[in-house]
Amino acid sequence: MKLLFKPFEKVSKNTRLLIVLFWVVLVVTFWFISSMGERHLFPSPQQVFTGFSELYNEGLVVHVASSLFLCLKAIIIAVIISLIFAYLSTIPVIKPLANTLSKLRYLPLTGITFYLTILINDARTMQVWVLVVFMSTYLTTSLLSMVSAIPQEEFDHARSLQCKRWEVLWEVVIKGRVDHVIEVIRQNLAIVWMMLVTVESILVAAGGLGFLIKNSDKFMNHGRIIALQIVILFVGLSIDFILNYLRKTFFRYSKI
Amino acid sequence: MTYSTENTLLYVEDLSVSYGDKTVIKDINFVEKDVIRTGNVTGQVIAFVGRSGRGKSTLFRALTGLVKPSSGKVLIADTTTGIDNDAKVVNEGDIGFVDQKYTLFRNKTVSQALMFALRNKEITKEEKEVKIKEYLHQWGLEKVKDQYPNELSGGQRQRTAIIEQIFCSGHYMVLDEPFSGLDVGNIQDVKDAFNLMTASHEFNTIIYSTHDIELAVELADSIYVIGYPSIEGKLADYGTIVKHIDMKEIGLAWKDFGLDHMEVVKQIKAAMLSS
Repeated sequence: MKLLFKPFEKVSKNTRLLIVLFWVVLVVTFWFISSMGERHLFPSPQQVFTGFSELYNEGLVVHVASSLFLCLKAIIIAVIISLIFAYLSTIPVIKPLANTLSKLRYLPLTGITFYLTILINDARTMQVWVLVVFMSTYLTTSLLSMVSAIPQEEFDHARSLQCKRWEVLWEVVIKGRVDHVIEVIRQNLAIVWMMLVTVESILVAAGGLGFLIKNSDKFMNHGRIIALQIVILFVGLSIDFILNYLRKTFFRYSKI
Repeated sequence: MTYSTENTLLYVEDLSVSYGDKTVIKDINFVEKDVIRTGNVTGQVIAFVGRSGRGKSTLFRALTGLVKPSSGKVLIADTTTGIDNDAKVVNEGDIGFVDQKYTLFRNKTVSQALMFALRNKEITKEEKEVKIKEYLHQWGLEKVKDQYPNELSGGQRQRTAIIEQIFCSGHYMVLDEPFSGLDVGNIQDVKDAFNLMTASHEFNTIIYSTHDIELAVELADSIYVIGYPSIEGKLADYGTIVKHIDMKEIGLAWKDFGLDHMEVVKQIKAAMLSS
């Protein structure tokens, strides 16, 4: 027992499972107790469950699909843009452009949405492009780090095998780091998922999880809000799990 | 042991490499010729020794064309023309290079990596496959042919890296500290690999660096000590050749390690410590 409180102590799989179980029970118990009285911060589990069934009956699945589709669309565009900049950053004349795109992540959301509103009429397209703009900056930052983290030895190795410079780029950076790209997407997806509420509230008519949260927030329906938070968390974690699984399955050499 | 020398295989003249204001190596000059021994196919084994930070790795990058010299030149024999002593300036890819970490393509299995190394050779796919199979068998890599670098042992990675370079780069091979971090078995594997390479063609030339002076003396027929030269009693801050021992000339090349070799080890250690 004492060992469980010792830094760097290795524990067995069963013990690890017991520790997790202990924390889950503790959190759930705390939730039950803290939501029992007249005045409480969090809605009771019963309220959350009711909120969840209401949401389900009102078409939660369709909203989840809408959010997922929005994310997918934005990610595909953002990944293409970021990959082009990151790969071409190995060319001296393009490098400043890629670095600038990466620095744009410090821009505030309001400024960007203002100009996008002028340029784009369709609100759904607007949602996609707000996500694309933001995700591209974060993705480019991570992808630039990925490229700069490639050891010089790998480039030298390719060059010593008579690879021309473009071939080095293809073999070492593009083909050689596909698994890293998936990992970068996985890491950055959390940011997009987090921004979903803000972005989906731009156009409430298009639906989505963000719209549902905003709507529930307006009517102070805490049970629904927490139910939605849990759904968002689980959908996010599922995407994370799937991407990690795909990387490990398709890229046996990938040990990130 | 009688020997003679013929064509010049490696000619380095006034070689210097600087990064910005920092000169790493300077005034490197040496010539290595094809060694001929009657009744034996004898490749050349050249060792570079020296203390850390004296510029051995930079010299190797310059020898392999991976870094452009600030001054001077590196010429190698152009064996494609068929004319004796025809030389060309070294370019990246002309000389095989195996670094200390035995770097391989992380996303290619052993077979895929070797097939890639043969991509420019004008032979059929079937011939390439036969050649790969033959080398995998010869170098004890058959069982790991479908494994990725992260699934290989250090020795297996090193052997794969060496075969890649043999397939791609012709007669020259530079190995940066091929013995570092290897156990007794792996060291023997590398020695066997050296023998395989040098026994397969007269022009095959192995250039390697090591901190193990005994191994340098045991295996090489020409040893260069890289260190800081003394100028007016003070050590300069760039690397250059401070001593050359031609093991052939003193009759110690291709012989079992003995007391005479130990004497050479002492000389080299003294040269290293003073530079």
